[in-house]
Amino acid sequence: MRVRQRAVTWSLGLTTVLAVAGTLSAGIGPVSIPPATVVKILLNAVSLPAGIEVAPLSVAGTLQVPVPTLQWQSAVAYPVDSTAETIIMRVRLPRIVLAATVGFALAAAGTVMQGFFRNPMADPSIIGVSSGAAVGAVAAIVAPAAIPFGLGLRGAAFLGAVITAFVVYLIATDGGRTPVATLLLAGVAIQAFLGAVIAALQLYSGEGLRAVVHWLMGHLGNAGWDDVTITLLIVPVLFGMLLAYARDLNVLLLGEEAAAGLGVEVERTKRLLLAVSAVLTAAAVAVSGVIGFVGLIVPHMLRLVVGPDHRVLLPAAALGGASFLVITDTIARAGATEIPVGIVTAALGAPFFLYLLRSREVHAL
Amino acid sequence: MSDPPLVVDDVSVTLGGRAVLSGVSLTAERGELVGLIGPNGAGKTTLLRAIRGGVPTTAGSVTVTGRSVSSLSAREIGRRVATVPQETELSFGFSVEQAVAMGRHAHIGRFGTPDETDQEVIADALARTSLESLANRPVTDLSGGERQRVLLARALAQATPVLLLDEPTASLDINHAIRTLETVRSVVDDGTAAVAAIHDLDLAARYCDRLILLAEGDVVAAGDPERVLTSETLDDAFDATAVVSRDEVTDTPRVTALSAESTATTDEEE
Repeated sequence: MRVRQRAVTWSLGLTTVLAVAGTLSAGIGPVSIPPATVVKILLNAVSLPAGIEVAPLSVAGTLQVPVPTLQWQSAVAYPVDSTAETIIMRVRLPRIVLAATVGFALAAAGTVMQGFFRNPMADPSIIGVSSGAAVGAVAAIVAPAAIPFGLGLRGAAFLGAVITAFVVYLIATDGGRTPVATLLLAGVAIQAFLGAVIAALQLYSGEGLRAVVHWLMGHLGNAGWDDVTITLLIVPVLFGMLLAYARDLNVLLLGEEAAAGLGVEVERTKRLLLAVSAVLTAAAVAVSGVIGFVGLIVPHMLRLVVGPDHRVLLPAAALGGASFLVITDTIARAGATEIPVGIVTAALGAPFFLYLLRSREVHAL
Repeated sequence: MSDPPLVVDDVSVTLGGRAVLSGVSLTAERGELVGLIGPNGAGKTTLLRAIRGGVPTTAGSVTVTGRSVSSLSAREIGRRVATVPQETELSFGFSVEQAVAMGRHAHIGRFGTPDETDQEVIADALARTSLESLANRPVTDLSGGERQRVLLARALAQATPVLLLDEPTASLDINHAIRTLETVRSVVDDGTAAVAAIHDLDLAARYCDRLILLAEGDVVAAGDPERVLTSETLDDAFDATAVVSRDEVTDTPRVTALSAESTATTDEEE
């Protein structure tokens, strides 16, 4: 109906914005590549299923089973400069895709958290996810030997984030009920505590201090396809789950008592939203460090533009967050020396948000 | 004769170690508006919450359209019982129509969108509460009286056999209070079973088919307004002297409360 139309229109529009931003961004850097060339390179990389080949596979030595496999073929083959192709495909595109995915995840989680807490100051890290990730990451830098199972920095950050969120949830839950006010305060307290842990770790980080500060500021540099793949697989699935609960999120805005009266399984819905948002944020923070502002401001920007209905707002904010981070990261790496993207997101986002705030009639949240 | 849509049987509720309701029973038939009256803290709101399964009962049972509320999911309850709350957060910039459409939540599947039936029910709810002209206005722009109508419309959009109202007229001026109760009356006359907690005893007497007088979690009196609204029962429940006369215009009981001082004098005289 009308809502679905609005959701689709906004999503298509913002996807176009994202595609254009990504294409332009791929051309920007030490080696400038014109957008037309970028498009050709991207089209060259698109593979289409060209046919099915059936190859016999022997099972248990004697039995032959025909196994169909898809044959892939590039749809087009434009002649392009191979250096440019390498720069785009190996260096810039993974980073752009990562920026888009991280921005998408943070803005989606931020939208859900603001609705969930009915609090405009809520952001994805409100229940301690980012602090937990930071402890994991910093520990992995300072004392790699202390991290179990050979997880590495990203695994440690992800694990730290998810464990922290779960601990905050357990602290705030009593008798099967999780009051959001308790959750909020427990999150604040745990963040303060983990802040102390991070500060202490930094104090003893010695050689690793630079790497620690770099991670804490948030970064998207040196991203390869391996970094992107896992995040790219997790994020859409989790986002789909959140989108399925968009209408429940609308009703939850009326307050829990009213939501229950309208047929929302309040505690179960809260648990699911909390868990999915926490993992979504953890997946983003683990690969990019703590990039502030995206999850706080982008949802507000889009709420001012498309309104409070989460069926439209959630996809719009997520796609807006993706474009926002692609653009800010491009600016962050465009200069002679790269600056942390977190500085750019705040320096650009805050004035733009204040402009929107003043130019529109703000009703609430 | 089928069972009444709402049967509350001997329900007790304890909150924070205090017995808020002790053995309360009531029924509401189709087309019947039952008024819940009593002093502040008598347990009216808790009784309404117990009916929709919002608070655990320590004894007794609530049956809605033949099913025990404790065995139903929130979604199933949302299709059977609608509530007009005293006040609710309507602070988000949803339009009136969006806010009313939320009443359909329990009727629409997780991946579904409102179909034609839903749209018709929403339009009907807007029409019954004279909100059509405000349909596209943000709820945050509305006056208190208009907001109350949005909440009523949302409950009507739920299209449930049982309707609960918690002080639906508490914050309304007399004109809006009467319009609200007229709307409720017409919905009830169409076959809904309704229970309304009402502070204003005169309005309760005028619009309700039966009254239930609660005091300290107990039913003190129940039945026709004329039988429940007597000086004796009201003295007892409200701890204040009240004179019950007859309203000449509406021909329903009219309650005039006297101050506590006059109670004291009466006591001395005895």
